[in-house]
Amino acid sequence: MTATLTAPGALRADDGRLVLEVAGVVDEVPGTRTLVLRRPGGGLLPAHPPGSHVVLDCGDRRNAYSLTGDGSPCEEYRVSVLLCPDGEGGSAFVHRLAVGDIVSASRPRSAFAPVSTARHHLLVAGGIGITPMLSHARAAVRWRRSFELLYRHRPGAGAHLDELRGLCGDRLTAYTSTPEMLAAVRAALADRPLGTHVYVCGPTPLIGFVEETAAELGWPGERVHAERFSADLDAGEPFTAVLARSGSRVPVPSGTSLLTALEQAGVAVPNLCRQGVCGECRVPVRSGRPLHRDLYLSETERAAGDAVMCCVSRSVDDELELDL
Amino acid sequence: MTTALSARVARFPFPFATDSYRYLTNVEPARTPVTTAAGGWGAGVLDVDDDYAVELAERAAVLAADPTRCQELPHMRVASWDALTTLLPELAAACPGETSLERDGDRWTWRNDLLGTARTFTVGDDDSLPEGPLAFLGSQIQDDVVLLDQREGALWADAGLVTFAADWSMGFDVGMRFLEVHGPVPRVHEAGVVQRAERFLMRLQPGEEYRRTNWTMTVDRRLDTSTETYAEWGRDRRLVVGDPALPDRLHLRVEVQHLIRLGVSNAICFLVRTHLLSLRELATVPEWRQRFGAVLAELPDDMADYKGLTRFRAAAVDWLTAG
Amino acid sequence: MGAEHTSVPRWGSEWPAPDPSARTVLLVGFGARGCAITAAWAADVPAGRPVEVLAADDADESVLAVLTARIAGARVGWRLMLAGPEDDVLAARAVALRAGVLDAEIRCAVTSTDRKRVYCPHCRATTTTTAPVAGETPCEGCARRLHVYAHVSRRAGAYLGFMADAEEVA
Ligand code: HEM
Ligand code: FES
Repeated sequence: MTATLTAPGALRADDGRLVLEVAGVVDEVPGTRTLVLRRPGGGLLPAHPPGSHVVLDCGDRRNAYSLTGDGSPCEEYRVSVLLCPDGEGGSAFVHRLAVGDIVSASRPRSAFAPVSTARHHLLVAGGIGITPMLSHARAAVRWRRSFELLYRHRPGAGAHLDELRGLCGDRLTAYTSTPEMLAAVRAALADRPLGTHVYVCGPTPLIGFVEETAAELGWPGERVHAERFSADLDAGEPFTAVLARSGSRVPVPSGTSLLTALEQAGVAVPNLCRQGVCGECRVPVRSGRPLHRDLYLSETERAAGDAVMCCVSRSVDDELELDL
Repeated sequence: MTTALSARVARFPFPFATDSYRYLTNVEPARTPVTTAAGGWGAGVLDVDDDYAVELAERAAVLAADPTRCQELPHMRVASWDALTTLLPELAAACPGETSLERDGDRWTWRNDLLGTARTFTVGDDDSLPEGPLAFLGSQIQDDVVLLDQREGALWADAGLVTFAADWSMGFDVGMRFLEVHGPVPRVHEAGVVQRAERFLMRLQPGEEYRRTNWTMTVDRRLDTSTETYAEWGRDRRLVVGDPALPDRLHLRVEVQHLIRLGVSNAICFLVRTHLLSLRELATVPEWRQRFGAVLAELPDDMADYKGLTRFRAAAVDWLTAG
Repeated sequence: MGAEHTSVPRWGSEWPAPDPSARTVLLVGFGARGCAITAAWAADVPAGRPVEVLAADDADESVLAVLTARIAGARVGWRLMLAGPEDDVLAARAVALRAGVLDAEIRCAVTSTDRKRVYCPHCRATTTTTAPVAGETPCEGCARRLHVYAHVSRRAGAYLGFMADAEEVA
């Protein structure tokens, strides 16, 4: 599954990125390409929970792609990318990559992990939404979890179908007809042991169908999981910090935190976590509206708008006047 | 002052940056070296020191007497393997001469000459490590370990091997939500400290590592001050007050706590490494003596009570400020 | 201590209603007051949804065994509602939570909080007492005086006790 993030620099500055080499290109089915990625010199890549993604630099944008392995530390990552006809989402960029090309990727990010207490895992995938489910199925096999997979694909275009058949055996049911798939999903949701969790990835209508049917059949929201790429702190709009006491102006470009910009301008601000949680880097605001992105300030403090946690927060207005 | 003693002082994680102490969500990135008035600490996640073998022998004795110190709800087995396979390589890197790790796929061979351990096991195969991966991990690192599962929008303390608890019980707390675990702590709920901590921890991504410190005081070099054995150590809090050996018996107890998002299982691994320094050792660094005296004198009563310092606090402040 | 965040459960002053999204419901009432509540709940469950009502004097082994068996056979959509004194409700809730039922699938009405189960970490026995939080009770296992602490385990359905006079010099 793919998601496009607005602009480069969508991840935290300290998110040590991975430099990866395209070690293999496999054309699964027409229009879907699998990339095998390794460290150029070889070596282990970071482990990740099933359902994780990496964010690849794709020319002028960054795209999130699900990792299809079971998540144990290993030497290669695999992602499968569907070529969108209109080239949206950077898929054309990926489809132009060749063996030996170097790409930059984030470390794995997890937002769709299996629930460890589940008695049974019901996996529902539509189209290229199969990619995180392949990871889930692989991990379930490795760790001997009870699961089943319902997979809808276009006739003749079932990415990973053979692999899945070998992996899942009769735990896989594949459909080429949408009504049949939806009927099977409804039947499964109508009768599974208490303790089951359902996971869905695919086109928005499929996700909606699963969520609505599950709710109608009495599934509490805690048992229903849909793949949505987490909104990481984005790079943010550029703005200027005006230092009221010295009168100096510090530009804060997109992708640079206010704290870093102040430090680079020689203004020392106490700080600890640089994640918006510890409360150390609070800076008083004289004018301009802060764009709060921290976990520290209370609702009242946020509304007052007279202080900002400069390690993560930014400015709504073009200028933010600080009492520094 | 013996050399062993000064080594202990030199690597002690003295936690106070000012003359007063309040609860904060004081997390910072792991592996950031800290320089102190006496030396420094914090370059790595695991800190193997001269007490390594003694402390691990003590852990084994505590566990043998009370196996409930090791808890693992059934769904946490993957997390326990994950913690073991994350931290053994860490230990191998910290002690390259004394330990070695060979991996052949899932087949791992671990040698630890500091303890005379040599084991071969298969990752994920419970039969290959009969005591379980968590208990085996606890036999190799000085840190206590708690593993937290993430689900239903919360963290759950669902496994742990804790033999050196500062006045709490892993056996009682197992299976609680993070906020419930912190239920008895004063101030932190109103101040939002633990709610913030939980949201922060829930957002940690695979492999991210943070740390924080916490502190209290302990009579003698007793690592096992768990609720279970309170009947054995409680009286010392009172007995130490009239004892001329107070500066040697009373210790500042600092926990260096690491918070690591494990990759395979998505669990949070919480490591608690306990350091003890007697007031007399602490006083070899005049700056520390002055600062700790000030912190202890200023500490609000509810916090001192919660930490169990009330009986000897005045005597400790007297000694520290007399120097 | 922050009222909403301590491990000590706070039962709302009003009894909850059946979850309208439930497909099948198990109601368990303890004592006369608990059973009166389950009777009212049974009438409130929307028509067509299967309801089973269990009545017991207290959360003894036999009713907990029935509860365990029902959970083992339950399908998603099942809900549990418990009514009665706190110690019985906590004991039954502990059985359900240990079997994997979610907080979101359990609703409780507590008719009194007089009785508590107190766990002794020194000898691992559990004592039933009417002592209040911060009060004292003798431990039935080791006879130590236990301070009843404001700390509750959802898995054990019990309060933590610890030796009240451990710091006294004999
Ligand atoms: C950023 C993360 C955390 C923060 C800010 C935090 C904060 C605190 C504070 C301020 C205390 C009181 C300590 C004292 O005065 O001696 C405390 C106690 C405690 N913490 Fe945490 N903590 C964190 C993570 C954890 C984790 C991951 C666990 C694992 C379960 C944990 C378990 C405990 C326990 C068991 C106690 C003792 C509670 C009692 O008295 O029963 N903490 N914590
Ligand atoms: S540095 Fe911790 S909140 Fe900004």
